[in-house]
Amino acid sequence: MFTETRLTQGVRLYVRRTEQFKTLTFSIRFKQPLTAEGASERAVLANILEDSTETYPSRAALRQALETMYGTLYYTDVGKRGGYHYLSFNAECVDDRLIRDEDIADWTIRLLADAVLRPNLQDGVFKAQVFEREKQTVLERVRSLYDDKTRYAQHRLLTLLRPEGPESIRATGEETLLEALTPEKVMEAYRRMIGEDEIEIYVVGAVDEEAITSSLKEAFHFEGRVPAVLPEKAARGTGKEGRISEKQNMKQGKLHIGFSTPVMFGTEDFPKMQLANGIFGGFPHSKLFMNVREKESMAYYAASSYLSRYGLITVSAGIDADLADKATKLIDEQLEAMRAGEITDTELSQTKAMLANQLREALDSSRGQIEIFDQYKDLPGGFTPEGWIAKWEPVTADDIREMAGKIDRQLVYLLSGKEESADENA
Amino acid sequence: MKMLEYSRVNETLYHETLPNGLQVFILPKSGFSKTYVSFTTRYGSIDNTFIPLGKDEVVRVPDGIAHFLEHKMFEKEDGDVFQKFGMNGASANAFTSFTRTAYLFSATENLYPNTELLLDFVQAPYFTEETVEKEKGIIGQEITMYDDLPDWRSYFGTIENLYKEHPVKIDIAGTVESISKITADHLYECYHTFYHPSNMLVFAVGAVDPEEMMDFIRDNQAGKTFDKPERIVRQFPQEKMESAVKEGSLEMDVSKPKVHVGIKLPALAEEGLEGLKQELAYQILIDLLYGKTSKFYTEAYEEGLIDESFSTDFTAEEGFAFSVIGSDSAKPEELTKKIEDTLQWASEKFPFGQEDLDRQRRRRIGFFMRALNSVEYIANQFTRYAFNGMNLFDTVTALEALEVKDLQRVLVPLTDEKARTVFTVKPPANGG
Repeated sequence: MFTETRLTQGVRLYVRRTEQFKTLTFSIRFKQPLTAEGASERAVLANILEDSTETYPSRAALRQALETMYGTLYYTDVGKRGGYHYLSFNAECVDDRLIRDEDIADWTIRLLADAVLRPNLQDGVFKAQVFEREKQTVLERVRSLYDDKTRYAQHRLLTLLRPEGPESIRATGEETLLEALTPEKVMEAYRRMIGEDEIEIYVVGAVDEEAITSSLKEAFHFEGRVPAVLPEKAARGTGKEGRISEKQNMKQGKLHIGFSTPVMFGTEDFPKMQLANGIFGGFPHSKLFMNVREKESMAYYAASSYLSRYGLITVSAGIDADLADKATKLIDEQLEAMRAGEITDTELSQTKAMLANQLREALDSSRGQIEIFDQYKDLPGGFTPEGWIAKWEPVTADDIREMAGKIDRQLVYLLSGKEESADENA
Repeated sequence: MKMLEYSRVNETLYHETLPNGLQVFILPKSGFSKTYVSFTTRYGSIDNTFIPLGKDEVVRVPDGIAHFLEHKMFEKEDGDVFQKFGMNGASANAFTSFTRTAYLFSATENLYPNTELLLDFVQAPYFTEETVEKEKGIIGQEITMYDDLPDWRSYFGTIENLYKEHPVKIDIAGTVESISKITADHLYECYHTFYHPSNMLVFAVGAVDPEEMMDFIRDNQAGKTFDKPERIVRQFPQEKMESAVKEGSLEMDVSKPKVHVGIKLPALAEEGLEGLKQELAYQILIDLLYGKTSKFYTEAYEEGLIDESFSTDFTAEEGFAFSVIGSDSAKPEELTKKIEDTLQWASEKFPFGQEDLDRQRRRRIGFFMRALNSVEYIANQFTRYAFNGMNLFDTVTALEALEVKDLQRVLVPLTDEKARTVFTVKPPANGG
């Protein structure tokens, strides 16, 4: 898919030349082991570096320049995958050939180099005013998780399951750690990121590979660095088991169930488990959707996700809280059916076709190409979409039965509304 | 089949109106593996008062029925339509808006079996009292899910207070109470009135051969019989420009208040290029007033009145238009004042000139080019514009024709104080 060039030790460039899009897409990713402290520092850092640069020293100045350059997109982002934290610089600009009189691609590369290498500083440190404001913005973002009950419930589930693992660390950091940050600390985090992080640069669009490689090399001079390696076995802490219910002021019950599995990303069973999850609750034809929603009319959504880097499968459903036990039982029954080998040829072939479609479809956007490739490129034996689809083909109902036996329910979490006072007094 | 070339954006669109009145548009995109096909009827949540096909009297149907009908189209006597799309490896979906109901799939294989499935399932209604009753539980949970979303509640609370009579004020899914009254007969009546091919549009975009696809759809439609097309009579109440309620609020379990300022606007005056120009003039003016490079945004962000949740919205469909501006804010009253002061400031002396317009024009041209990377955007937006008598591919032409005076013209309704409402979602007074 992508042509890989090693720019120096720990810095790689991936270019995909294609005429499919009307834009060029860039993504520069800095990668370090995930910790709550690091995530907090970098969430604020990402915001500061999105705000302004030395060349465009205010938010309005930078945004005006982007507007003038035909609405070139520029943004930073933070995320996590497995035990790693990512800070990315992203840009997308219109293909010069559609506009004619401009050199938008070169300008965009210069802008990215400015954003990464020449931040908006005062006396060698981030401006206090910018720092304070962006720290507040990240704090607000972290706090607003509370307002989204579905995301909140999922985060609670992960925290209860793996209290000390990367599962429960948010890529945007933690409130108390964010509060304690100073411009100097974040400046220090910036220096470490530029000097020590593993770096991956992605380009997708109608580019000349050689020309783009040399302009990027010229724009960014990174020193060689040794990529950090994660410890063999990550700490997880003692997770909760059984059932936990919590209350907030809300109407719907959010039922989130955590299952653990020893089948991890990149193992031999990994493609089989992707299929097993698809049959369980990955699609509108899956067992959860057909039974919890269509047959019992208990939910609008009932779905499962496979968090393959963490060895977890989570199920979520929005239900009437009074029916939580019934729903939990129904969900268990679907897994039981899979363990008993109740998997039809139709279910199996539908799920294979849907997974293949999902993967091929995702590749029809430039960001999708980068995300998918970045996610799968470390698989043993490398990654091509068709090669990966071929791994699902031979999976049998018997394999699914075996996978279902490797899924163990660990915790049932229910977030629901407060009881009416009449009930409490009854 | 007509071929329309849009050389500025390197796209070619194919079009035909079939004998039964169905509009078919096809846009091949090279390099794509998927094809996205949507089948849309010009029928949404606001169409609740109309003369049913073949009748003489106006009926008023329960709120939320267009959305309910959308759900029920997926269930057939021989099972669930999702299952069949699944067999073909296609991901199918549907959505209902104020004015449209769209059914769609995207697939990288089995294009024609999937297209056939889409056309056939939307053109073969199957409703029974039993299946209608069963759906009420599912949609009831969907409504409850939205009830817990503070951003949705705040946005809809704003629209609800803007309008006194117009059905745009009614939540698209209705309420648990209103859907309880829906019967299979209602669904058939709405279906027969609004799902006639002459009220519908097919858009196919992505990996598709236009000749082959057009032949396929033409044959499929030729094999079915439909009533003679009739003009659909829809009734909408008269609505004054003044907002119905000036201020409203709601308590929810949120970490920080949310506030939205709504402005009721006159519907777009014209169709075609002029309509498109007017819509773009509104969007550009709202960007200049409240966008990331505006005086308002810079100050409000510095003062901590807004955060990343700040957003502006402009909606225009046939018969209504409005704008909603808002954010999470620890100081909702101060933010409201600042939003309103900005309108006042702009109406005293028009603050924007040629340079501002040029910059926003360039931004919008770039935005449009980028959006053409998305087959979903093309199909959905093209359909929306077509139902409003406009052409999505006129966007660059309309942008280039815009002048500062076009912005000045749309400022007038935007600054009408009587047309405003303010809606706040507040954390519980006792701290929750």
